[in-house]
Amino acid sequence: MECERLEELLPSFLEGALSQEEKALVESHLAGCPDCRGLLAVLARTQQALAGLPELEVSPGLRARLLAIPERKKKFSFSFDFVLKPSLQPVFAAATIFMTLLSFYLFNPNKATIDRTIDRKVHSGYSEVEKLYASAGSFTERLGDAAENVYVSVKNWKIFGGNERDPYTE
Amino acid sequence: MLVNEYSKRVFNLAYQFAGSYQEAEDLTQDIFFKLYGALRKYDFEKNFTAWLLTLAKNHLIDTYRKTKWEKSHRDEFDERFASPEAAQGPESGLAQEADRKLIWAGLNQLAPETRMAVILRDLQDKSYEEVAEILGLPLGTVKSRINRGRLQLAKILKDKKEDVHGM
Repeated sequence: MECERLEELLPSFLEGALSQEEKALVESHLAGCPDCRGLLAVLARTQQALAGLPELEVSPGLRARLLAIPERKKKFSFSFDFVLKPSLQPVFAAATIFMTLLSFYLFNPNKATIDRTIDRKVHSGYSEVEKLYASAGSFTERLGDAAENVYVSVKNWKIFGGNERDPYTE
Repeated sequence: MLVNEYSKRVFNLAYQFAGSYQEAEDLTQDIFFKLYGALRKYDFEKNFTAWLLTLAKNHLIDTYRKTKWEKSHRDEFDERFASPEAAQGPESGLAQEADRKLIWAGLNQLAPETRMAVILRDLQDKSYEEVAEILGLPLGTVKSRINRGRLQLAKILKDKKEDVHGM
């Protein structure tokens, strides 16, 4: 058996995990091959060294950082949780309906016609308002005139000393 | 509790894989952060430790691929690992300490998947079946990968020793 092929069997040989047949093969090769015997010895030391690497303790600083993670997570998820509140459901429903209606308008093939109608409606509404404003203006004027007339006639009533000469103006 | 129960295991896996203490602390924190997010996906019929180590392994190898830690990145095998037998001073203890030093440095020369398999089997003491479950690979593949890794490490040790004797 070649050394290269035998090498592959050495770790299992060391662990005692080979079949009787393979074990015998390896043993007979090792008896006549100092190189492979050397490698087996180093392999055993490697295993020992690996097993001898001790475990380290977690530093208090890292422990504190790890313990703080659930709090961080909670804060993080809280910032998104509010979206799922049941009280916001009507708002989302209304928004959905609004968006649906808006999409009916935005993607309507007769959008131009709708726009024109809206335009016309807005304009006629605007002129209605203007008219209303003008008549309100004239009404205010008439009201003002009437108020002045009332004021003059009240002032001219005898009981308030109307039509008498004012001593200070002479 | 998760931190008490598993932090040491995850931290050591990260340290053995990455080789840098600082890096291992950050990686452990990242892994626990991911863990809390993934807990709801955990299937209770599965082995929790294996599931957690799979998550850790994926994060470690992904990070390795993204950042390609430099070989020089591995911490020196220093007083963190000083073992009591070396302190006692027998010659065999010193020789073992030297071996450990070489093996620790040599881990970085293994491909990440091989390194992870060797660490899980020989440092974390997992059975071949558990390693296969964690890595999500067939048992035969895992065994040959671990054997390859061990041989590679043994050759590193052998070459270094020959260098020393040759000088």
